[in-house]
Amino acid sequence: MISIIDQPSTRTNMSEPQKAREPVPKSSPVPDDFSESGNELKEGLPCQNEEEGAIYDFQAFVAQLRDPRADPILRYTRSFLNNFVTKRELWTCEEQRKLVDDFKVFVYGKLPLYEPFQSLNAGKFKNAQEGIEKLIMGKLYGYCFSPSLELRFQDKLDASHQEDLDQDERLRRKRAEFCFIDPGHLEIPESLSRRLLKFTQLSGKELARITEYKAPRDKMVCVLNACRVLFGFLKHSGLENGGADAFVPVLVYTLLKSDVESLLSNLNYIERFRYTEFLRGESAYYLSSVQGAANFIAHLKQESLHISDVSTFEERYTANQEILKQEESHAESSTSVTAVPSATPPRPAPSHYIRRPLDEATSALLVKVSELFSSNPTEPRDKEGGPEVSAETDLDPDSTRLVQQLQEQENQRVLEELHDMFPEMDQGLIHDVCEAKKYRIGMCVDVLLTLSS
Amino acid sequence: MLQFKLVLLGDSSVGKSSIVHRFVKDSFDEFRESTIGAAFLSQTVKLEKHQDVTIKFEIWDTAGQERYKSLAPMYYRNANAALIVYDVTQPGSLVKAQSWVEELKHKVGDQDLVICLVGNKLDLCEADSSVRQVEIDDAQTYAQEQHLLFHEVSAKTGAGIAKIFQEMGEKVYERKTAESAASAATQPRKTLNVELQRPSTNDSTSCCA
Repeated sequence: MISIIDQPSTRTNMSEPQKAREPVPKSSPVPDDFSESGNELKEGLPCQNEEEGAIYDFQAFVAQLRDPRADPILRYTRSFLNNFVTKRELWTCEEQRKLVDDFKVFVYGKLPLYEPFQSLNAGKFKNAQEGIEKLIMGKLYGYCFSPSLELRFQDKLDASHQEDLDQDERLRRKRAEFCFIDPGHLEIPESLSRRLLKFTQLSGKELARITEYKAPRDKMVCVLNACRVLFGFLKHSGLENGGADAFVPVLVYTLLKSDVESLLSNLNYIERFRYTEFLRGESAYYLSSVQGAANFIAHLKQESLHISDVSTFEERYTANQEILKQEESHAESSTSVTAVPSATPPRPAPSHYIRRPLDEATSALLVKVSELFSSNPTEPRDKEGGPEVSAETDLDPDSTRLVQQLQEQENQRVLEELHDMFPEMDQGLIHDVCEAKKYRIGMCVDVLLTLSS
Repeated sequence: MLQFKLVLLGDSSVGKSSIVHRFVKDSFDEFRESTIGAAFLSQTVKLEKHQDVTIKFEIWDTAGQERYKSLAPMYYRNANAALIVYDVTQPGSLVKAQSWVEELKHKVGDQDLVICLVGNKLDLCEADSSVRQVEIDDAQTYAQEQHLLFHEVSAKTGAGIAKIFQEMGEKVYERKTAESAASAATQPRKTLNVELQRPSTNDSTSCCA
């Protein structure tokens, strides 16, 4: 027997991009976690955060789900996923949002009825809820994330998903049109200009990682990290009480200067598929801020900028237009050479949306999750499986190692980013700060700024 | 704990962020639980009128510069309360505040939102009464006509600050309790009629070949 969920391409008319849409349970970004976020800023005051102590651990959830007593939960989930992908080829965004939300409400209600979930404490229970969200959205990503849907449906895409893509395109064009502008055009104070570019670049990089993840929470963490970096910067520039008046212009500047693919699709996806109860407080605030800033750019006009020297501005605008025209014609000629050998117009490859290749480690962990959804785990799952098949034996100690490996890679990345940011600082010191702050980039930036000033 | 979203609106020079920072700094009660970020803060309020009730405000700051006005709807959607701030020494800032009132009434609706109009920088008038440019009676009359809460405050001295949040807290809490009573009487209606068959534990193989 072959699982439907694992291989919709064989059962339904899901086509090629399927592979990339498999869940990638890569280690979650090391967040300045939602829950503990405020602690650092509270200056030692007691805090009672409802999410405190909950450390996100997908692997633990997978282990729980493999417990035979959790079988009903597994079956409910499988049944839902199966229905979702077979009942209709394409749902509208709003329908998808409701179906996913209904299921979460349903299954979160069922969790307390079965072991091992029944006896989990509140923090671990929340982790299980997060795990379910990550699991189902990993499975349904290709059905719900507009750029992935575009690959499959192209011009037959429904209006609601098409709107996401149109928003992305609008943002892309406007960003190109106004990428040359200066901080002053956005009313960013002069005093920030010295280090502005560096910090907005780091923030933009964090945000760009949003495309690497499928789980709404993981994407949210990227948004959060990007905003934290900016806040750290503002705080150390004497604008800690500047509020949104200081934050919004810097955020807009960051988005203008960084190239985040399909940003609005990603943000809409978070909004639709992050469980409402988890999308509160700071997370909700940052998400709205980035959405607002992105929409601001998508509708940017010369009149919405602060322009003191009109003629210089117009010169630069015209020069930029020239560059854009050249780039466009260049891009046209080069795509015609490298065009995908298909009748369809050139589209970004699926891997475009998940930048890092599915390395062996990721694939192996992926199999572990997929296995849960196959009725017969020994069935060969895919003839092009490669590492997936070979990694299929005895995954438990393996996956622990793999998760560690992914974590180490992620830590290494944070360390390197910070070395770049603070080249004058002792490397050992940066390392110590990272260790102390658990590689949460926003907090590390905050501490390092304190030390460097 | 009940949580309410409060959005902060007003021109960039009126000191709206200072009002919130003052409020958070001055709240030394045992329920203190605040996240001091640059633009998002949360703070609990123990209601005086309702014994044993503590609510939490999640306070969303907005950018006051005119050019960023278009971002505001992203912030005030789903808000329970709005604090609209003007500067008593700047008549233009009251006009701006009034346009926020209009926009909120138009876009969000009165029933869903508790609005408080606040005149800030009262301390400046106390030092020198000639700097006052907005008469308290004018602002108050406007607030009454529009059914808004109204206060004059000083973020600098702290005068009147706690009272704003106390009053707004009571108001949103009372609305919430009235609302839950009402919705208990009537079944909530589903807005979108789309459903999958109920997930079940035994149809896992139904579509298999």
